[in-house]
Amino acid sequence: MLQSRRSFLDVLRVLDGGRAEGDFNAAQWLAARGHEDYQAQAAQGTGRRPAPALPPGVKAIRISSNENPLGPGKTALDAIVRQFHEAGRYPFNSTPGEGALATAIASKFGVKPVNIVLGAGSQEILKSAVRAYTSPAKALVTATPTFENCPNVAKRLGHPVVEVKVDSACRLDLDGMAKAVKGAGLVFLNNPNNPTATLHSAKAVEDFVRRVRADSPETVILIDEAYHDYVTDPAYQSAVPLALKTPNVFVARTFSKAYGMAGLRIGYAIGAEETVRPMARLKMPYNVSVFGIAAAIAALNDPKHIEDEKARNTEVRTFTVKALEDLGCKSSESQGNFLFVDVGRPAAAFREACAKQGIMVGRDFPPFEKTHARISLGTMEEMKKATSVFRSVLRPVTTTAGRQ
Amino acid sequence: MALSRRGFVQTVGVGAAAAWIGARGREHGIWSAFEPTLQAVEPGTIVLASNENPLGPGKTVMKAVRTAFGEGGRAPGRYSGTSGDLIDALAKRLGVKPENIVLGCGSTQILRTATHLFTARDKALVGTIPTYEECAGYAEMMGHPVRAVALDSEFKMDLGKITEAARGAGLVFYCNPNNPTATYVGARATRDFLAKVNRESPETTVLVDEAYFDYVTDPDHDTHIPIAVDNPRVVVARTFSKAYGMAGLRMGYAVGHADTIKKMREWDAGSGTSSLNVLALHAGLAAVEQDPSFITAERARNTAARDFTMKWFSERGMKPTDSQANFMFVNIGRPVKEFRDACRKKGILVARDFPPFEKTHCRLSFGTMDEMKKAVAVFGDVLGKKTATAA
Repeated sequence: MLQSRRSFLDVLRVLDGGRAEGDFNAAQWLAARGHEDYQAQAAQGTGRRPAPALPPGVKAIRISSNENPLGPGKTALDAIVRQFHEAGRYPFNSTPGEGALATAIASKFGVKPVNIVLGAGSQEILKSAVRAYTSPAKALVTATPTFENCPNVAKRLGHPVVEVKVDSACRLDLDGMAKAVKGAGLVFLNNPNNPTATLHSAKAVEDFVRRVRADSPETVILIDEAYHDYVTDPAYQSAVPLALKTPNVFVARTFSKAYGMAGLRIGYAIGAEETVRPMARLKMPYNVSVFGIAAAIAALNDPKHIEDEKARNTEVRTFTVKALEDLGCKSSESQGNFLFVDVGRPAAAFREACAKQGIMVGRDFPPFEKTHARISLGTMEEMKKATSVFRSVLRPVTTTAGRQ
Repeated sequence: MALSRRGFVQTVGVGAAAAWIGARGREHGIWSAFEPTLQAVEPGTIVLASNENPLGPGKTVMKAVRTAFGEGGRAPGRYSGTSGDLIDALAKRLGVKPENIVLGCGSTQILRTATHLFTARDKALVGTIPTYEECAGYAEMMGHPVRAVALDSEFKMDLGKITEAARGAGLVFYCNPNNPTATYVGARATRDFLAKVNRESPETTVLVDEAYFDYVTDPDHDTHIPIAVDNPRVVVARTFSKAYGMAGLRMGYAVGHADTIKKMREWDAGSGTSSLNVLALHAGLAAVEQDPSFITAERARNTAARDFTMKWFSERGMKPTDSQANFMFVNIGRPVKEFRDACRKKGILVARDFPPFEKTHCRLSFGTMDEMKKAVAVFGDVLGKKTATAA
């Protein structure tokens, strides 16, 4: 089941810092690590390269992990500080406690706390979903490229994985995925899709769900809406209402993106009680810290901050897409806080050239590693610096029409 | 399965193990006890229910949390990359190598991982009844058999019976001091026990949970980390939730043989290190590197509160077990539910039921001395024992 390209075992060796490996430059690897890239980075061995020596005064800009460069909002940070006196309390004894967070999320969607399962990041939800809904006889159907957490867990468990390549516009091939779904245990649908940043409309998702339900009613559909808050396309709607009324459908969400809390590890599943219960059974008890609980509740009560963050990201996105287009590099239609860009050369070469000037961009995303780079969107100031570096890195190629 | 069933009947009677697992209250996860979890603690309540350090982690650690916010409070927006620093610091402090340590989202994650890896449908979990239920709850959920072993008459772990039950088992959960009974088995007896299990059932792993390690005052006290590092069949679990006062931050770890730790890291991959929050990683590092006098002082504070509270109960004819932890298990001679409900009305939260002793015994965590003075006044009212009786 293991594929050499993303061998899970290779990955495991370096998790937790890979301290057992003598020649491994952990500090450099850790510095570049992100939401998902520790796995593939490790497999690719990028962590073994020495850190690039930066010119004096140049500070590295990390646009490799689809993080919110500004972190949590002020209200969330204030909420953490107000919780300092409860650092010694378990999350079921603190005020607010974990029940209050589940309730706050449920209220946002007009549902009950039993429709919510908290995770230490949405990664725990994804892992539990694969454990609960796939087996040696029931495959995971996923895309390639997409967020690899689910396929990695399935492969580790020895459960079959069907990977359906994205279409020519780098969009999920919903038709191809629907065709592959018969008898599968779980379908993973990342909308917008990481790393390609592309989106499917509410209608397309609904049609896909209807088709899967008709062809393979036992198959569970997991719709990962990690980048929900960054979507600006009016044809999009969250699949949460659909999930709540449709058996075997649930949505994963995270506080790691627009909410700016990647370091706090909070995600959740939302769906019908029967559908999310298996994740609740597998959930690690008290998996969210008292600080994470307080920060997330405060952020849910501050929707204006998320609107502002969305507007900020949209402005930076428009700027960066255009700057790259001016350099002859086309991005797929981005609805996230990152771009998937045809840089016309191996991502590794582009990444290394950028890193020498302090700009850290995303890792390889096979099968597009020979042509495309994933670039997360930092602040406008960071992206002005980054695009100026891209210009110096990309120009020699575009002007000579050469290829490395 | 049949074997485990017989184990129950022989030791504690039919149904007791189910009650044991089913009774997980506030401390259980969010599902089967969802309503209690939703029930918030009223402000001003003195919480003596969860074996926490009432004073929290102290200034050094909180300063590290504040520093972890970074410039403009941006740092928590980043995925953390500091687990290696905490592992290195722990390795240095414990005199082991980084490859001997795996971190967890509380020791809860460590306990779950060990249960997942070392039990199976044909490899039982062995645990005392009562003990901390995380391993048993997880094994039960996975459909792995659980063998429950009764405590001895002093509410201490019965090493002979555990050794017997361990034959052919996958994992022995050895919580020492034992939660909820607070009793402690000395270091020499534990060493002999580990050697004997290893001799008689070489494929069985023993998970020594040292959650309350720092509160023990028994002179025959030592960690079993050196054994774990040498023996792939022994793992020690530790937590920052107790004496270090960081229950809210979620950080624990396991120490063991490099091969065993590697297996645990492998299973955790995908939601292992990624379950660790950046504030807890920074707090953990500061906690390990702070002056060891923090723990000495916390132990002394707890010992004083423990002596005071145990004396209060003993003088009123209610016998506690020999507590070596930051909580006590005391015979109040009535169902703990009645006592708990009455105390809660007066602003004191004591622990849940611990079958099979829920009709007689209460687990009480030690708060500050001030809190314990207020608490015993309430206990006196509720129990009708305001003044000491001739013992």
